[in-house]
Amino acid sequence: MSGIQVRSLKKSYGALTVLQEIGLEVQPGEFTVLLGPSGCGKSTLLSAIAGLDEIDSGTIEIGGEDVTDREPSQRGIAMVFQSYALYPTMTVRGNLSFGLKVKRNTRAEIEKRVSWAADLLQITPLLDRKPGQLSGGQRQRVAIGRALVQDAKLFLFDEPLSNLDAKLRTEMRVEIKKLHRELGMTIVYVTHDQIEAMTLATRIAVMKGGQIEQYASPDELYERPATLFVAGFVGAPAMTFLPGVYRAGGSPAIELDAVRVPAGSLPLAGPVGDGTEVILGVRPEHVALAEDGAVGQIVDATTQFMEPMGADTLGWFGLGSQRISARLAPQRARTVNGPVRLALDLRHASLFDKATERRL
Amino acid sequence: MAIGSRLAAQTALIPAMLIALVVYCGSTGWTIWISLTSSRMLPNNNFVGLRQYEILFANERWQVSVQNLALFGAMFIVLALALGFFLAVLIDQRVRAEDLLRSVFLYPFSMSFIVTGLAWRWLLDPTLGIAKIAHDIGFESIQFDWLVRQDRVIFTLLAAAIWHAAGLVMAIMLSGLRGIDQEIWKATRIDGIPAWRTYIFIVIPMLKGSFATATILMATSVVRLYDLSVAMTNGGPGIASEVPAKFVMDNLFERQNIGLATAAATSMLITVVAVVAPLLYAQNRAAAKAAG
Amino acid sequence: MRKNARGLTPARIGLYAFLVISAAFFLLPLYVMIVTSLKGMPEIREANMLALPHTPTIAAWVKAWSSACTGLSCNGIQVGFFNSVKIMFPSVIMSIAVGAVTGYALSLWRPRGVALLFGILMAVAFVPYQVFLFPLVRLFSFAGLNSSLPGIITVHTIFGLPTMTLIFRNYFAGIPLELMKAARVDGAGFWRIFGSIMLPMAVPIIVVAMILQVTGIWNDFIFGLVFAGRENFPMTVQLNNIVNSTQGEREYNVDMAATMLTALVPLAVYFISGRWFVRGIAAGAVKG
Repeated sequence: MSGIQVRSLKKSYGALTVLQEIGLEVQPGEFTVLLGPSGCGKSTLLSAIAGLDEIDSGTIEIGGEDVTDREPSQRGIAMVFQSYALYPTMTVRGNLSFGLKVKRNTRAEIEKRVSWAADLLQITPLLDRKPGQLSGGQRQRVAIGRALVQDAKLFLFDEPLSNLDAKLRTEMRVEIKKLHRELGMTIVYVTHDQIEAMTLATRIAVMKGGQIEQYASPDELYERPATLFVAGFVGAPAMTFLPGVYRAGGSPAIELDAVRVPAGSLPLAGPVGDGTEVILGVRPEHVALAEDGAVGQIVDATTQFMEPMGADTLGWFGLGSQRISARLAPQRARTVNGPVRLALDLRHASLFDKATERRL
Repeated sequence: MAIGSRLAAQTALIPAMLIALVVYCGSTGWTIWISLTSSRMLPNNNFVGLRQYEILFANERWQVSVQNLALFGAMFIVLALALGFFLAVLIDQRVRAEDLLRSVFLYPFSMSFIVTGLAWRWLLDPTLGIAKIAHDIGFESIQFDWLVRQDRVIFTLLAAAIWHAAGLVMAIMLSGLRGIDQEIWKATRIDGIPAWRTYIFIVIPMLKGSFATATILMATSVVRLYDLSVAMTNGGPGIASEVPAKFVMDNLFERQNIGLATAAATSMLITVVAVVAPLLYAQNRAAAKAAG
Repeated sequence: MRKNARGLTPARIGLYAFLVISAAFFLLPLYVMIVTSLKGMPEIREANMLALPHTPTIAAWVKAWSSACTGLSCNGIQVGFFNSVKIMFPSVIMSIAVGAVTGYALSLWRPRGVALLFGILMAVAFVPYQVFLFPLVRLFSFAGLNSSLPGIITVHTIFGLPTMTLIFRNYFAGIPLELMKAARVDGAGFWRIFGSIMLPMAVPIIVVAMILQVTGIWNDFIFGLVFAGRENFPMTVQLNNIVNSTQGEREYNVDMAATMLTALVPLAVYFISGRWFVRGIAAGAVKG
């Protein structure tokens, strides 16, 4: 198993720059997820790492070797595709052994690896069937099996669960996580689903517009998002964003539209200039009703409406022209109305510079 | 893409490229060149400009060929389109035994032009063919001798050609009809529009693509018309059913006048380009518009 | 399609009547051919064409097959039959092979010059054969291929290329690109992908191609006449010789038997292939 080093990777399609000088380092055994909305470049980055698409400039190292000019089959990679891409005229066994045959493995070796992978993924009874006779979930396993038999240094997954229904998706997610724990391979995984990313990854690279906004563990992304985009993309229900102005001094505060919030407990990286236009980000679970004894800065708000979500209810409150959401117990939510006092726990909040959208 | 595979791809295309360059482009170019020389039995390189063409267009046999083909071609395309379309519409009316009927209408297309020509020649034999049937029934005066009448023989070829091709047109039209949104019929029924109107003003315009395809196919085979003429009448009686393709063949191999033959062939080429190019252009435009 | 109350309205009756009459028109030549070939010559002269034979006999068929005169020799049209077979098998295989590889390379690999090559191939489909004849004859005599079996096979391959390339290219263009990616990750190159993956997937279109080529090559007349050589004349050419160059009395029953024999192979292909035949037309008809 080995790591990846991507340096200054750039790719354009004509006038459109899809990847802008990307740098990424994946440690051996890590499960790295490339996360982002459509068009952010995550699939292009994966294709580039795989060697399926040519790049304009930059280098790619896999396992310490420079593979920038090499064909996919010479990079020591294996890949699982969104549509599984199984060879329709071959049996499952044929699909699993094709790559090995091309690389001239002995029949004994092929047999050994195919049985091992089939056993691991519980597809042994399907070995003599053709892809057309399999269900979506079974095909997915075969696709993963085809990757596993390769004994590759690096495993690439391109949105493998997008074509499955919700229930199957959850099951397969668990399977993939188990596989990673058992086999410890280095994985780069592309998805637009942040829940998938959060549950599977050791580190997530959140991408937007051809650049990596933040590359960190799920917890880090959640608690200390580096940019406004990451903060809004990760976590559901979403973080509330409140634009305002920062007032520095002995007792710093943020002037929002209607209220003034003392900002002493904000976890800032460094001093912030007085008068800076900022955006305060607070997650709903860090907003509570003051009368329940919650900790934090107190503000006055008016109740707007409740969104029952099952285990919790999301309460929406107005702060002047702005709106803030709070996670409440359903029973408690039912009793809330009119003017209330909210407690904002700013120790877990985020402050962003409005202009640069970066974390302060 | 690996160098190895890219090389393999280009190598794999060598036969096609060779053929395309040497045979297609090269031959066409050489034929055109020869038509501009004074070649007779063997090709020479005496450039004579358009003299062969002057001779060609003054040649009576050629003139008759061209007239025949023009008359034949126009009537063939129009009638085959009409019959094919009509048959397709009928079959589309949810008739029973549709498969059987379709087989019956389409099987002639699988037969060679020689077979077609010979079968029809027999059918239209002035003494023993349909004419005799009419006689036997009692219509003594009717002479069905179009096969040997100079002014009528071209229609015999026409009948055979339509018999051969109508099934093909029908198949193309049928798939076009089946591609039409069935909701249209519900809409016209609600509006009280009679079926024939719907067909003429709504369906036919929607089938422009199918009509274009069928027309292009038929136009291509019209210009190539040779086998049928040879089998049915061998250009006769006299030169009444000569066609350009036969003119080229005769001058190329029997009369040993390749200058004239290539001039004729080039004229055929130019005609085809002139007719097909605008049709293709229109088809492309329609496809591009549909793709939005 | 009109909605129609089931049942025999006058319109419906008229519809079926017209269809039946049309069917009769289309079946007439075939019927007459068969019936004539089963009669004796006296009966042909006396009775009318549509009548069934009094005493059906296959004597005409036997004569057509084994002793009809094609020009100089009188060995029947069986000579032409076997020639056509000899021509057909290699021609079909070669034209499909070259067309398949070309279509595969054009659609899934796209090396340089693809658009131009494809454009030329498509344009050629419309050009009258007469334009190519003389240069080809000269070229072949230069290469020693004139009037030979390899010559006619080459010609069929050359002129089958546009249609074959078109249908294979269109077929392969519909294959999902991820399949190619998976194969490349597995390490397969151009020929490996073609042989192990694409060709097995292309069986339906190969069937269509075979139908088109078998019918087209068997029915060919002009190329066989020009390029095959006297000993290798295909059945169509022999047929024309038998019928059109008879001295003296014409034996119509023998002529018709010979015609039927020539038509048998394509007819058989047609009836066996059924829907596939129509699919073949659709595939070949989609030009440009």
